[in-house]
Amino acid sequence: MEVVVDENELKAAGARRLEDGRFGLRIHGWEIESRKRSILNSSSLLEWEHRLGTSHMPEMVFGNSSLTLKHLSTGTVIHFNAFDALAGWKKEALPPVEVPAAAKWKFRSKPSQQVILDYDYTFTSPYSGSGAVEIQAEPEIERVPKVKDDLHWVDCEEQIDLVALAVKEPILFYDEVILYEDELADNGVSLLTVKVRVMPSCWFLLLRFWLRVDGVLMRLRDTRMHCIFQDNEKSFILRQICWREGRLEALSSKGYPYDAASYNDPSIVGQRLPIVMQKSQKLLLSDNS
Amino acid sequence: MKELFRVGGDCPKTNYLFLGDFVDRGYYSVETFLLLLALKVRYPDRITLIRGNHESRQITQVYGFYDECLRKYGSANVWRYCTDIFDYLSLSALIENKVFGVHGGLSHTISTLDQIRIIDRKQEVPHDGPMCDLLWSDPEESVDGWGLSPRGAGYLFGGSVVMSFNHSNNIDYICRAHQLVMEGYKWMFNNQIVTVWSAPNYCYRCGNVAAILELDENLNKQFRVFDAAPQESRAAPAKKPAPDYFL
Repeated sequence: MEVVVDENELKAAGARRLEDGRFGLRIHGWEIESRKRSILNSSSLLEWEHRLGTSHMPEMVFGNSSLTLKHLSTGTVIHFNAFDALAGWKKEALPPVEVPAAAKWKFRSKPSQQVILDYDYTFTSPYSGSGAVEIQAEPEIERVPKVKDDLHWVDCEEQIDLVALAVKEPILFYDEVILYEDELADNGVSLLTVKVRVMPSCWFLLLRFWLRVDGVLMRLRDTRMHCIFQDNEKSFILRQICWREGRLEALSSKGYPYDAASYNDPSIVGQRLPIVMQKSQKLLLSDNS
Repeated sequence: MKELFRVGGDCPKTNYLFLGDFVDRGYYSVETFLLLLALKVRYPDRITLIRGNHESRQITQVYGFYDECLRKYGSANVWRYCTDIFDYLSLSALIENKVFGVHGGLSHTISTLDQIRIIDRKQEVPHDGPMCDLLWSDPEESVDGWGLSPRGAGYLFGGSVVMSFNHSNNIDYICRAHQLVMEGYKWMFNNQIVTVWSAPNYCYRCGNVAAILELDENLNKQFRVFDAAPQESRAAPAKKPAPDYFL
């Protein structure tokens, strides 16, 4: 279904669509853009493997897809892309998860010489978004490179106001971008996506890593960001990171079904998974100007 | 599927070998498999279907075919009949004794083609053993001999394994499927094995092309690479997400 946004609603909210075939919009000093492209071809994949220092990549890497949110006056850029997420996977390097059949395989006759691969085939990543403050020293001179600074997220107690977000304001811009996906050779699913919705009063996004290893475990790593449009110095972004993980044995002992087919929808399953880590952080936008 | 026949030519004028995985992806698994089956019934010596790892009761219950049957027919009967037929599909095929077709790959327990012929294959795909390997294993550049997947189940095989298998069975190369290739086909190990992928724009979003490996009567080969049929000629739902008030 094509998203039809009423022109009058855009106008009333002071928003404008991006030009030149770009998909996104400008609103309250933000430029929000999503790009959805094909999966990487073999030569790009090889190049990425080389840059990441690995010989294993997800089956589907949407390497040219991204979501970018740019706060024009402060140069703050929030960016979501597969490369940085995979760099996070490589760094975290979790031990592999054995599938149920592995128990039987231990008793199989083995080839005379066998190498056991031990990378994290689930592509679990701690990624919670990329970002930088891009300060253009002299905006008139294009050749002057932009100075980049990291974003300073500060731990905080505040929580994203989900009640306010449940109010059905008109959605001016919506998109869902897949960054990478793997079917674990038909042993489940590993999926990293980012969804965004922009309303007249705010933008909200959800970066979600979802993993289901059939018959073994489920892992959900959510990063939510919320920014209320305010034209004063107090403008900020709230970020909440929540990691959940549960083994199927534990779930079924609580009476939940055991079969993989019951665990297709992470937003339903998520509630049943115990939280293993969560934190709230804040990024002040005025500080960086 | 109809696009594939448009590109490759209609059966029975063109002979076909399909390498498995007929179901579980896309909106029309039932129709796809039933069309292939109807062709098999009508032209049994013009079309050959071999078994992929998705032609299994267990896998289809997780990855969509079971749900699709239930949704379209209101009962699991069609799924049950189809999965019964899956048990009769061959595990591999041999073209003019020179090209070996299989869904996944090789097994360390199989060194000759005769060892495949004696497998009692009329059963659900087991979790281990030679039948499982033929449908599940993958070639892997980073190993030379045999490798075990980090999942603890599933073999990976390297160039020397392929070379010795091809040599001892006097075949030119192995043709297999099982793994997505953006360009539609991919040779490995000095043209000893080729992966052929014939689902364009996989899952309606990957943007990949697909390929048919075409052989003439002298086994001269040519790849027919093709794109997904245009959106308007298909009944597939458009892939624009509907906005939702996610939290």
